[in-house]
Amino acid sequence: QTKWNLPAAYPTDNPHTVNLMAFAKDVTEATGGKLQITVHANASLFKAPEIKRAVQTGQAQAGEVLISIHENDDPMFGIDVIPFLATSYPQSQKLWKASRPLVEKRLAAQGLMVLFAVPWGPQGIYAKKDIDKVEDMKGLKWRGYNVGTNRIAELVGAQPVTIQAAELPQALATGVVNAFMTSGSTGYDSKAWETMTHYYDTQAWIPKNITFVNKAAFDALDKPTQEALLKAAAVAEERGWKLAEEKAGWYLEQLKANKMKVLPPSDALKTGLGKIGDQLTADWLKKAGTDGQSVIDAYRKM
Amino acid sequence: MIRTALDALYLAAGWLAGAFLVLIFVLMMILSAGRPLGINIPAGDDIVSWCMAAMAFLGLAHTFRQGEMIRVGLLIDTLSGRTKHVFEVGSLVVGCGFVGFFAWNAVVMTWYSWRFADMTQGVIAIPLWIPQMGFTSGLVILAIAFVDELVHVASGREPRYEKPKPQTAEEVVEQAIQSGV
Amino acid sequence: MELLEIAALLLLLLAALLAGGVWIAVALMASGWVGMQFVGGNIPAGSVLATTIWGNSASWSLAALPLFIWMGEILFRTKLSDEMFRGLAPWLNWLPGRLMHVNVLACGIFGSVSGSSAATCATVAKIALPELKRRGYDEMVSLGSLAGAGTLGILIPPSITMVVYAVAANVSIIQVFLAGFLPGFLVMALYSGYLIVWSLLNPDKTPPADPPMPLKQKLEESAKLIPLALLILLVFLSLMLGWATATECAAWGVLGSLAIAWWHDALTWESFWTSVMGATRVTCMIMLILAGASYLSTAMAYTGIPVALAEWVGALQLSPFALIAALTVMYIVLGTALDGISMIVLTTAVVIPMIKQAGFDLVWFGIFVVLVVEMAEVSPPVGFNLFVLQTMSGKDSYTVARASIPFFFLLVVAVALITVFPQIVMVLPDLAFPN
Ligand code: NA
Ligand code: NA
Repeated sequence: QTKWNLPAAYPTDNPHTVNLMAFAKDVTEATGGKLQITVHANASLFKAPEIKRAVQTGQAQAGEVLISIHENDDPMFGIDVIPFLATSYPQSQKLWKASRPLVEKRLAAQGLMVLFAVPWGPQGIYAKKDIDKVEDMKGLKWRGYNVGTNRIAELVGAQPVTIQAAELPQALATGVVNAFMTSGSTGYDSKAWETMTHYYDTQAWIPKNITFVNKAAFDALDKPTQEALLKAAAVAEERGWKLAEEKAGWYLEQLKANKMKVLPPSDALKTGLGKIGDQLTADWLKKAGTDGQSVIDAYRKM
Repeated sequence: MIRTALDALYLAAGWLAGAFLVLIFVLMMILSAGRPLGINIPAGDDIVSWCMAAMAFLGLAHTFRQGEMIRVGLLIDTLSGRTKHVFEVGSLVVGCGFVGFFAWNAVVMTWYSWRFADMTQGVIAIPLWIPQMGFTSGLVILAIAFVDELVHVASGREPRYEKPKPQTAEEVVEQAIQSGV
Repeated sequence: MELLEIAALLLLLLAALLAGGVWIAVALMASGWVGMQFVGGNIPAGSVLATTIWGNSASWSLAALPLFIWMGEILFRTKLSDEMFRGLAPWLNWLPGRLMHVNVLACGIFGSVSGSSAATCATVAKIALPELKRRGYDEMVSLGSLAGAGTLGILIPPSITMVVYAVAANVSIIQVFLAGFLPGFLVMALYSGYLIVWSLLNPDKTPPADPPMPLKQKLEESAKLIPLALLILLVFLSLMLGWATATECAAWGVLGSLAIAWWHDALTWESFWTSVMGATRVTCMIMLILAGASYLSTAMAYTGIPVALAEWVGALQLSPFALIAALTVMYIVLGTALDGISMIVLTTAVVIPMIKQAGFDLVWFGIFVVLVVEMAEVSPPVGFNLFVLQTMSGKDSYTVARASIPFFFLLVVAVALITVFPQIVMVLPDLAFPN
């Protein structure tokens, strides 16, 4: 009997954690208890930034992480946070399909093997006023928390503001920040309607969590166990995407029910954001080189 | 000569830690007061957290030598003479072992960051080993201070990490405040 | 080995190391390392040590800790306590118990800018103790009320103890801070109520009132409290007006304290650097203990002991009240010999899962923990407020401890009250963070 630890960063009731728990249960059942995975949710074993390194160095056998936090290590890990590149679940799935071989290769070079990837909600703009075109975003106090969000602020002339995620609700309440991008679910969890009035469903990007395993730990399993694990992973990936897609609409309904204006971006805004997207894709390609170009080409052909 | 150099090392690292505290203060004031003025420090929150780690670990050797690294004195304070000496040496051996082990693993972690060319996360990308340096060197200096004390005490001299028993009210208050409770 | 046997072994080892004089942080690390030896799967115990501690130390919200400590260091070196006594005393002459209420009120006010109980106790006692003695107040009640009220320093935010708890239990620091306000007022009311009852029962032990002071002079004396009031207002407003996030308001507190020190002519380069280095050393000491504790709790998470313990307690089917009563007794016993920080970091890894299992809110439990740490501060043989007052009064520790007994029990009453009426704790955090 083998016991694995799987550190994860999100709370027990987060859909990703729920999916991981179901995955762990599937694995136990499929292997007749030969492989038992303990999910350590809520960053109780390792904090999010350390999870990849911990699995890489054998401190845990498997782990789940929002892969884009490692975009500075390798642009390929940040492909799913290029704004306005893949703006719907079907597109996002295509992008994952196009980029998966390279992401797998890069992680394999670090001794990691990808098990499955599950998306978050599409990212929209929360604001306190009408945004009909990108010029309306000029001067907004805009939360910048990664390369992409900071670049957007720069390109539209908004003022980037540095605020930790945990302090965002308070920053909103006191007006430190008056616009930001996140998913419908995060807005719902933080009761965005108490401070914000508009939600623009731009579906700017759809970030993903990737669950991976230490390759040596995987190789140490016997063949049937390996197969059972990979099968459970495939099931978890499918379940995760389906659940995320179903839930995304539900969250927007909840924002509406709480009197927020949930709007599709106007044509002018769409065009403006599209241009920014092209710029940011070009930015990314400069970092990602020919490999990056081949992934984008493959994605565009799909 | 070595004595002076070591003492200077502990003190210099301690001062550096103090400088990081002042830097945390300054950065936070700029982040906070800068918002209405349109001033932003990209990744200011990350920089503050690196300063925090550097401060907390660079000051350790100095804190240890000032007798402010606390232990439960209930039993050991009642001992004296030979027995006490044995306990002191024993504590120092355990301390050297684990602080040394910790410092070594911090070095390995930082070295891996350098070898894998890991970058910091978030808005600005710098090699991860740079912010990890404060943490690691603080631990290495602490390990040196522990070995230094072990050699000192094992050769029969009085420990230098014990604060003298407070004599005046002022000293008691000072010590009570420095207990952090 | 069975999990419970491993747990008992680790506990014994930790106790032995601590008793042998090993530094608390090192003892925690050693126990964590031994715990890791029972984890299968070739987990490298050393890499885990470095990785978890790096991850826990490089933290934005932890940076509030040294700033709050620094703020207290700066203020302690000013003439604040003197002015607080003179500013508050003229207004409290009419209450039964008279100037003894100054102890409670001054500690409450100083507690709202200092994060330490010993610092609060020392700052107020420095001036109140001689003044009360000179006027002929009962020394036992003076001492007891100072020891007790000094502990308000960690119940009324900011509070080092709360930061340590919030980090150890992985809950929001700002929520625990908010939760502390009303219990702080509750404890002040209990103390003042006790002083009133006591002086009504012992009219001969309360000296006559100070000669009445003309209103103008009263106001003049109190005007000296304005800088402190401004400081409290500044920290509060910086938060409310959106100048600062919860963490950043600690920086505003430092700025205000520096301004007060400058106003008092107590700000020189030398005193500035002394306060910086003082705060640095206290922070380093606490951070290494937190580091050791985070390693031990990670080791525990690997072994699965906390989950097993929580299940075991769950199987006992204790009522939540019985669990809290049992924990109170346990903490009172631990509190006789341990300081607050050690108590928190030594127990959270195993107690938190039990508390969750029993359905308590972790923010609420934070206030419970602060209250039992307050009891520990005034219980012999190891209690920092006792040490402070022992030297300041020249009495032996037994006398000071005896003087503190009524206030110790008032804290027990406060624990009972917040257990029966958890709203006292939760109303403010729930208001600010509805969910
Ligand atoms: Na306080
Ligand atoms: Na005690």
